[in-house]
Amino acid sequence: MTVTLMKTPAETAYTDAFDPQGALADVRKSAFAQFAETGLPHRRMEDWKWTDLRQLMSSPLPPVSGTTASAGTIDALISASPFGDVARARLVFVDGAYDADRSSLPATGDVEFASLGSDDLPGWVSDKLVAGSTDPIAALNLAYMSDGAGLRVKAGSSMDAPIELLFVTTAEQAATYTTRNVVVLEEGASATLIETHIGGTGEYVHNAVTQLHIANKARLDRVKVQEEGLEAIHLSNTEVHLADSAYLKDFTLTIGGHATRQQGFVTFEGEHTESHVSGAFLLTGKQHNDTRLVIDHAVPNCLSRELFKCVMDEAARGIFQGKAIVRRDAQKTDGNQSSHALLLSDEAEFDAKPELEIYADDVVCGHGATSGDLDENQMFYLRARGIPETEAKSMLIGAFAAEAFDDVESDAIRDVLGGLAEGWLERRKAG
Amino acid sequence: MLEIKNLHVSLEEEDKQIIKGLDLTINAGEVNAIMGPNGSGKSTLSYVLAGRPGYVVTDGSITYKGQDLLEMGIDERAAAGVFLAFQYPIEIPGVATMQFLKVALNAQRKARNEGEMTTPEFMRLVREKAEKLNVTTDMLKRPVNVGFSGGEKKRAEILQMAVLEPALCVLDETDSGLDIDALRLVAEGVNALRSPERAMLLITHYQRLLDYIVPDKVHVMSDGRIVKSGGKELALELEKDGYAAFAA
Repeated sequence: MTVTLMKTPAETAYTDAFDPQGALADVRKSAFAQFAETGLPHRRMEDWKWTDLRQLMSSPLPPVSGTTASAGTIDALISASPFGDVARARLVFVDGAYDADRSSLPATGDVEFASLGSDDLPGWVSDKLVAGSTDPIAALNLAYMSDGAGLRVKAGSSMDAPIELLFVTTAEQAATYTTRNVVVLEEGASATLIETHIGGTGEYVHNAVTQLHIANKARLDRVKVQEEGLEAIHLSNTEVHLADSAYLKDFTLTIGGHATRQQGFVTFEGEHTESHVSGAFLLTGKQHNDTRLVIDHAVPNCLSRELFKCVMDEAARGIFQGKAIVRRDAQKTDGNQSSHALLLSDEAEFDAKPELEIYADDVVCGHGATSGDLDENQMFYLRARGIPETEAKSMLIGAFAAEAFDDVESDAIRDVLGGLAEGWLERRKAG
Repeated sequence: MLEIKNLHVSLEEEDKQIIKGLDLTINAGEVNAIMGPNGSGKSTLSYVLAGRPGYVVTDGSITYKGQDLLEMGIDERAAAGVFLAFQYPIEIPGVATMQFLKVALNAQRKARNEGEMTTPEFMRLVREKAEKLNVTTDMLKRPVNVGFSGGEKKRAEILQMAVLEPALCVLDETDSGLDIDALRLVAEGVNALRSPERAMLLITHYQRLLDYIVPDKVHVMSDGRIVKSGGKELALELEKDGYAAFAA
């Protein structure tokens, strides 16, 4: 084993603060050791070549949990969640700690909630907290995670009224906030989950992990909206485990953050399983979003679809790295991924890196990536009907992004997403 | 209403002149037809009227309702009442036809300092006109022209025209790709819009359309110019003798 010397100020801050206590101390220790093998990922690591965290995190951002912000600041950020009227239950986390007073628990016994900040975690949560992720940021998360939602949807129950996990970061301190969710859908259960990230202005890092364990015949619809502060670094890992005939529909909208690295790992553990992962980025200024997906078809007869629509204005940069692995036994795999970029300025940039690793011989797999400007013929058509240029552009950009959330199941959630895209376009027009 | 004088048009990308000294006057209340072989510059004329980028007017003038049309932007022309029914309507994925129509109508009304139309008013207006053109509610919900058949696209163009109520309607090869029933439906839609305040310019290769939309004047275009003008009987002559006599 090679041990990398961790020596940047940010790495030193992580090392100095490390002092695990309680029931999870051993798990945290092995996770930290794993992180220490590489330290902060940097550009000489192939998967991270576009996002050099050693460079991005140039100052110490020590791990912190708990807020120093005023109630007014916190409430203002909470009310900025666009899902206020849609969510039927809401679990609020402020600066990496559960805020019971500002939360409303699901009004049903079909869903069990545990705060991951608690000392006494139920077995269905602690069983899932296992060191072993090969990703340094996910390992760092386990070493330092301070809180998050444990949710268990009981076998056979339907929780179609959306539950929102709202993460608010006040940015009062230049620090790292580390949260983790463990979501378990038992056999035949279904749920709609919203994950919202909202932040204030100021430098901070939010390292967020969500584990989704979807049992036989269970279905999860998940929507994530990322509106971190514009000086923030958002590091996220979503780990999905799908059992027999499980179904996942997942959509992420990224509007916020100075730099975002989001990774999704989907593992098919049971047959006849479907995973639909989609996303849209609406980026401007010097925003950076590097999305990496690893779809692992380990068993036969599964279907995966990934669709990302990326809008980059000004000097923004988008990256989509999509990897699909089809293992030798995974016959009859049906996999398809595509990423499409819309570049609204000469300075904007998009990189796509599709990777297919196919070891089975009876599969249908494809990928596609496009990148371009607005279509001139479409612009002409809209304007020839009397729609002014700026409005025509907004219509086309909005329609481009919306394709990624067109098949979000809930009308109410889809309307919120449409509203967020419209808001972004209005700010762009005004800007 | 429209006065084109000595119009010369080239393509921006290549140094090629398409229209070479065209003169044409269209009065309110008239239906004018331009016929001509492929490559004579008919579609270019329609694009120049609508303001499509990529065409350069090197000489001549176009006056619309006393204004210099060439000085007006694309959407400005539309708001002033110029409408082009496209030969190949463009698909706009992600924008529902109904929504598109509403934005277009209200943008035009706003540009003319008229009040915006409310949603119920608008829905009533569109439903009534759509029914006559056999445009289904399903089509109105679908994205603009996406997945429409050739005939559906042309009917949707005429519906847009009926809703936007332009003063100058330019119809570019509206008959192409239509079977006889669809052609009849489209023609009825166009005829219903004929009025003393409105002028129409039909651009067509074949006489067939003119059996259903009877023009007041017919012009023959060849090699970028109007080479002959006459009444509706000129179309029948052309049908009989072909364009050979006018070849450049």
